[in-house]
Amino acid sequence: MIRQLAKYKGKLAADGCAVSERIAFLARDDELLSDGPQELVQLGAAILEQLSAVSLVLAPLALPVGDLLIRRAPVGESSFVPRDTETRTFLHDIPFVRLEKGESPDPAALAQLLRRRKGVIVEGVGIVAIGAFTPEQAYIHYCSVFHAALVKYLLDLLHDGFSLAGEDEAFAALRDAWLQPVTLEGVTFADKGVAGREAIYAEIARVGRYTVEKGLVDSAFGNISWREGETIYISQTGAHLDELEGYIDPVPSDNSSTAGVTASSELLAHRRIFEETGARTILHGHPKLAVVISMLCEKSDCSVSDCWRNCPQVRQLEVTPIVAGEIGAGGLAEKVAPVIGERGRALVFGHGVFTLGRDGFAEAFNALVEVENWCRAEYLRRLEKRLQKDV
Amino acid sequence: MNGWHGRLLHVDLSSGVCRYEAIPASWLQSYLGGRGLGVRLLRETYHLDPFAPEMPLVFACGPLGGTSAPTSSRLAVVSRSPLTGTIYDCSAGGRFAHRLKGAGIDALVITGQSAQPTLLRLSPAGATLEPAQKLWGERFHATAAALQSASESVAAIGPAGERGVLFANIMMGEGNSVGRGGLGAVMGNKRLKAIVVSGDQRPTIADPERLQKGRQDMMRLFKASPILFGQLGIAEYGTPTLVDLMTQRRMAPTENFRRTVFEAAANYSGPAIRKAYQSKKDGCFGCPIQCKKSTPQGEHLPEYETVSHFGALNGIADLHSIVKSNTLCNDLGMDTISAAATLSAWGELRGRFPSADEVQKLLLAMALRQGEGESLALGSQRLTRAAGRPEFSMSVKGLELPAYDPRGAYGMALAYCTSNRGGCHLRAYPISHEILRKPVPTDRFSFAGKARIIKIAEDTNATIDSLVACKFSFLGASLEEYGTILSGVTGHDYSPQDLKEIGERIYLTERYYNLANGFSEKDDTLPPRFFSEAGSSGEGIDVPPIDQARFNEERRKYYRIRGLTDDGSFKDPAWLGGQP
Repeated sequence: MIRQLAKYKGKLAADGCAVSERIAFLARDDELLSDGPQELVQLGAAILEQLSAVSLVLAPLALPVGDLLIRRAPVGESSFVPRDTETRTFLHDIPFVRLEKGESPDPAALAQLLRRRKGVIVEGVGIVAIGAFTPEQAYIHYCSVFHAALVKYLLDLLHDGFSLAGEDEAFAALRDAWLQPVTLEGVTFADKGVAGREAIYAEIARVGRYTVEKGLVDSAFGNISWREGETIYISQTGAHLDELEGYIDPVPSDNSSTAGVTASSELLAHRRIFEETGARTILHGHPKLAVVISMLCEKSDCSVSDCWRNCPQVRQLEVTPIVAGEIGAGGLAEKVAPVIGERGRALVFGHGVFTLGRDGFAEAFNALVEVENWCRAEYLRRLEKRLQKDV
Repeated sequence: MNGWHGRLLHVDLSSGVCRYEAIPASWLQSYLGGRGLGVRLLRETYHLDPFAPEMPLVFACGPLGGTSAPTSSRLAVVSRSPLTGTIYDCSAGGRFAHRLKGAGIDALVITGQSAQPTLLRLSPAGATLEPAQKLWGERFHATAAALQSASESVAAIGPAGERGVLFANIMMGEGNSVGRGGLGAVMGNKRLKAIVVSGDQRPTIADPERLQKGRQDMMRLFKASPILFGQLGIAEYGTPTLVDLMTQRRMAPTENFRRTVFEAAANYSGPAIRKAYQSKKDGCFGCPIQCKKSTPQGEHLPEYETVSHFGALNGIADLHSIVKSNTLCNDLGMDTISAAATLSAWGELRGRFPSADEVQKLLLAMALRQGEGESLALGSQRLTRAAGRPEFSMSVKGLELPAYDPRGAYGMALAYCTSNRGGCHLRAYPISHEILRKPVPTDRFSFAGKARIIKIAEDTNATIDSLVACKFSFLGASLEEYGTILSGVTGHDYSPQDLKEIGERIYLTERYYNLANGFSEKDDTLPPRFFSEAGSSGEGIDVPPIDQARFNEERRKYYRIRGLTDDGSFKDPAWLGGQP
């Protein structure tokens, strides 16, 4: 268990969600185990002892978006609903706690919030997230809250501009740290050189790792597949894309075996895309700026209110189509497959990006990077335009 | 009162008196309903023999019954098991549960023993007892056909329940069953052949908007779950979708758990069943998943545990024989897992497992307690003890193990032993994380951290069984969504943590009853085979015997995490008296 704490602490830091020295990770077996700064561990322990959960992580966000969101929130509000569909599906809403300067967080009050939800943002302290069963769950919930907070902040900023003293400087730091273009440095692809099952597994695992290393996928989200003949090799549900060795399911197209029931929840989408396009590979990730940009819609006087699910339009973002649809059997597969073939890429409203490769992963990976970089540039362009209005 | 009706119907079969009684609101709020309420209602009688006339047989609905909460048209039947001697409950879905709640009660409590076979007819207008001599001896399907109308549902026993087969089921007209622990024999001992219920009284809902919000959240999660709504999931193939997976994971119990891979398992996989029987979706009333499967003619097709145990466990590769065995067990009112596992233990005893053609004759003999069937009807533990080979019973606390070999999933190994009703996979359902990767994957070949995970899962599942919801819904959703729904229905605020604490109370109450009835640490263990014999290793998967010292260490951790002494006893002997 102690190894698990170190592992997920390292992943949080590698993902850029938190700073290694300021992460407290705790878990309870028959006794409490911990890793991290003592004052945070003490707070975490005081919270965890009041909950029926195995693990807790507590760490300041690597970016100040949590505090900025709280300070921008209207007086009286104590939670926000994630704007992106993935975290909204799994977290519903995220409570936050305001603290006066110098005020210490109350473990009982935080435990009270965590009796109800998987994570909470505490002003001046950071994100506290729990895992009912494992430290991995606490890590996933931390990442989800971080993702939801960042996406919401970026969207809010685009809508409302800066509203706090010093916010422009805080954003500049955020932009410099996080909103940098993704490069293709250090990535290579075997593509046509891939032959046989073991080589396919190895290539999937390698490219999966790239997606995480390049910040295109938070570790436990996203999925990846390779079609060979009548078999789709696809990452398992809940698999970390940077640790796919042993977690890839071969799924026959005729469903003659159901051993792949543990395959990604997006198996249906991958299948439809393969059927529709004849592609060899598919990548799916949730790069943050693509998620943000996918939700921007200029259409006015529209009767659709649940756009992420029921928008009937295929909007066009430069060369990338945007469609609606929810995860798994929620309709995403039917919407993406018909539109992705032409340019090998598609955005799903508030959710993420699908890209495909005809020969291997090179085309799919490049497309994923291009989409995110284009969305980054577009976001900054729109933000600048929005901020000029305030001048 | 919202959600609950606040009353139960007590039927005393000895005197023929039926009377309504109020249920204290504090009991409903503290135990919810279903399993929890049933366990609370046994507070004064848990020590009685299962066949004592005064031992209650409780049919308890939950606060979500009769609402639009997904998977919640269910009930729990609670009593003491004649097979295991433990406190016992079983959750069952279908219209019977829906109509029982619709009859205007939260629970039906049956005590006493009728002098003659009898039938209970129940509606919002009241209850009547009628003679059932003509139905006594009838199989289940004939009984249901004779009694059930479009506006009524039937729960009845078959010949197995009448004759006291220790793993006799209570069957329900829509194909659901109250299985495993022999509560059909408890009902038969009371000479109650059937219950016919009608009613459409719905509970009031405190906050319909909140209920609807929780419902929508839950449906989104169901759709996001590959196990539920994926192309290979249980909505498509039913639980036999697990056949291929268990084979691939090398943990399908074969030939009385001597091996863990059955080469012919593909004969009865989900796709094989669909192809052979053109199976269609079927399932519990009010459930969006519809994981049951039936033929176009309406014959219910077997679940994963049934196909695997009538298949691999007995070395049978013939799908049609397996389906026939399933249908026959249902008609005779007999649990398929225990029946198949008992046949398998008998097969190992005699040195030959039953053939595909032989099985149905043996099942009939078992249900009617004729010839060889007399000893088979007592279950594998009594059968093998009588033969001087108790190690051949693959059971915990006398309950035969289902089709998940514990050498392939160490959380499952621990959970079989800590389960309050004996060797059951559903009390903590570690298959969800050790195999199906939900809500998060865990290392199936490691005990690390499993003690607390099992404890939390047991508490959670005790709550689910008390709401009463289906455990499969937790392959997508969680207590967060059920907490929202329950709060919306009842108007009382329940957080997921509140619900786990309720589950903990229910679990500990059951353990308290069991310990008071003579169970102890020595019963919280696996058959010796699992500690001494390896499973079927291969294809890069090693299936060694379980390290007994490590198992014992994790079990001790589990006791400590539960707040028990190191040998699994209560630190406070008066603990029960402090509970609501």
